[in-house]
Amino acid sequence: MINTQLSRRAFLRSASGAAKSSIIVLSLPAILVSCERSKQANLGSEEFSVLSEEEVLEFQAIAARIIPTDETPGATEAGVIYFIDNVLADDREVEHETLRLGLRELQVAAALSFNASYFHELELEQQDQLLTEIDGTPFFGTIRFLTIAGMFSLPEYGGNRDNIGYELIGFEDRHAWQPPFGSYDADYAERGE
Amino acid sequence: MAEENTQPSYPTREEVDFVIVGSGAAGGVMAKELSVAGFSVVVLEQGPHLQAADFKHDEWGYDVNKDLTWGARQGYPQTFRKSVDHETETRESVLDYAHNVGGSSVHFSGNFWRFRPIDFMEASVRGPISGTNFADWPITYDELEPYYTKVDWEVGVSGLAGPWDPPRSREYPCPPMPVKSSDVLLERAAKQMGLTPYPAPVAILSQPHNGRPGCIHCGFCNGYGCEVNAKSSSMASMIPLALDSGNCELRIGCTVSRVNTDENGRANEVVYWEEDGTEQAQLAKAVVLCANGAETPRLLLASESEQYPNGLANSSGVVGTNLMFNGYSTAVGLFDDPVNAHKSVPATRVLHDFYELDPSLGFYGGGGIDARHFSAGRPMNMALAGGLLGDGPTWGSEYKKNLRKEFTHTAAFDGHTTSLPLATNTVTLDPNVQDKWGRAAMRTTYSDHPDDISTMKFFYDKTIELLDVAGATKSAGFYAEEGQEGNVHLLGTCRMGNDPTNSVVDRFNRSHDVENLFMVDGSSLVTSGRGQPTMTIMALAFRAADNIIQFARRGEI
Repeated sequence: MINTQLSRRAFLRSASGAAKSSIIVLSLPAILVSCERSKQANLGSEEFSVLSEEEVLEFQAIAARIIPTDETPGATEAGVIYFIDNVLADDREVEHETLRLGLRELQVAAALSFNASYFHELELEQQDQLLTEIDGTPFFGTIRFLTIAGMFSLPEYGGNRDNIGYELIGFEDRHAWQPPFGSYDADYAERGE
Repeated sequence: MAEENTQPSYPTREEVDFVIVGSGAAGGVMAKELSVAGFSVVVLEQGPHLQAADFKHDEWGYDVNKDLTWGARQGYPQTFRKSVDHETETRESVLDYAHNVGGSSVHFSGNFWRFRPIDFMEASVRGPISGTNFADWPITYDELEPYYTKVDWEVGVSGLAGPWDPPRSREYPCPPMPVKSSDVLLERAAKQMGLTPYPAPVAILSQPHNGRPGCIHCGFCNGYGCEVNAKSSSMASMIPLALDSGNCELRIGCTVSRVNTDENGRANEVVYWEEDGTEQAQLAKAVVLCANGAETPRLLLASESEQYPNGLANSSGVVGTNLMFNGYSTAVGLFDDPVNAHKSVPATRVLHDFYELDPSLGFYGGGGIDARHFSAGRPMNMALAGGLLGDGPTWGSEYKKNLRKEFTHTAAFDGHTTSLPLATNTVTLDPNVQDKWGRAAMRTTYSDHPDDISTMKFFYDKTIELLDVAGATKSAGFYAEEGQEGNVHLLGTCRMGNDPTNSVVDRFNRSHDVENLFMVDGSSLVTSGRGQPTMTIMALAFRAADNIIQFARRGEI
């Protein structure tokens, strides 16, 4: 059995500490209000509250590398970008500006490395290369946090469309279960242990 | 602001018999016992009265926004330093607890371990530990046992009596919860190693009891409120009885600022703010503080006066000291077949074979081991931690592919361990930082004793070994090698004792200094136990209430 004892920093970074590497701080009633607002504003059409068209394309592209569409749906299909829009729409102009700056820097890197104006224009391998270079920065940490939160939070927050995220991770948001819960307790029951 | 329906509405400027500060594990028990006994009771609770219908499987709300546990975001920053020689930092939170009727008993895991006889007399048996305030309790297990049994039956605990239990006078009211795959893996490995796993006693009903339904195994116990009232929070089990008595007024959204005393040094008034900031002061014949091991000492220190210049009830100087968390370790293993530990309650088996570690190891400590889901059954938290096992890509296709396996095919074996009481581990009032009410923020000064860290390491190593025996193909784990910097177990800060020079309350939870002031909650604990302290807190509350009622009826308060 391969065992890795994690340093405190690594453990906390990967667990609840992931939230700490993000610049986003929220309050529940406010996010629900902005969800309501965006629902009303949309009236069935898929418009965004605060994200510009360029930001939608760029952030969606980054999210699509974090949770790609491959044999199974990814961040794009789950509508993570709507979650991100809802979060930033809630009086988050300061945080939004920080993300704009981070995006500009990423676009500068795209231009210098690959002569491209936009991140989303790059080949996927090129995108991954640039993201690997900024892995660990607050900008990437925030987008990763928002992508994952958008993927696996309750759909009422705008992401996890049709429970795509839950299906991906093998979670059913059923409120009641009965045993057997997994293979080992089924086997245990069968053997009368 | 008081609840509607059958509650009385006591005028603030007329004495009630008892004001209880806090409606949590202890406060809920106290409210029920005193009001059912016929006394007029006002309970002051700073949070809202959330109930079963209010709770949701909302990770974003509870874990990110801290809707229950509150922090700097909601106007309650705290500060932390490892010692008086270290820098103090302002943090989102340090001493965590749920702010609502029922307190942390609403969001707890439900694991209910009675203390064992040794816990109450360990210092006598083992000898003092230099540099610590390691001490015996002023009561024995036998004196508390009837009240543990009261908790079993009145609050509602499921389990199986057996040779693994400390002495008990009655069986459990409900049978143990059905075993989970994570616990089958633990049980089989433990038996192979010659250990004695047994059904974990939990404050979660496995079948209907006392008019509440049995658990539906939704998996959202730890950190969340129970949506069907099967989890035995004091909100679900005690508060309704208090409110039905017709003697209890539950005032929610009330933040207590201080306890005042009269010219004779007796507590006579509790001052608080209502939600809109209006200040009120409730007169009382007696005051019971059940605000938890962080807030109770804070309130006493903030209630200093000319009569009590060191803080109320603090002639010993001990209020706020001896802060204990419990220790913790976790080891996650990957298995070939679905474990689905995210379903049902956190733990259904426990080992107490290492309750007392052999002193020949060279350090003091002990604890219990149980099996859980690594991220307490939460999909978003699991995904944020993704990449924990193996080479750990934290984004991309490989990361995405691993998520399902990590969520459904893992089990975490956790160690829950002892903490020693140190005079230097304290809750004090921060001189610089304030909360939204202008109160001095809580400042935590805390460093784990080396023995506590050695104990956590022992349990970490043991759980890695258990995972290996269980057949895990990969594992990863953690214990606080450099010491903990916060916790949800808040213990020891107003300890019980017979000697007023080194304790705050006596064997009946009565202040040594102020005869009509009582403190009962996690602050009362003399030793930390081996984790899962809430059952002991509730038993202490039942016992204190029993005695307070007798004192009151005899006119001795």
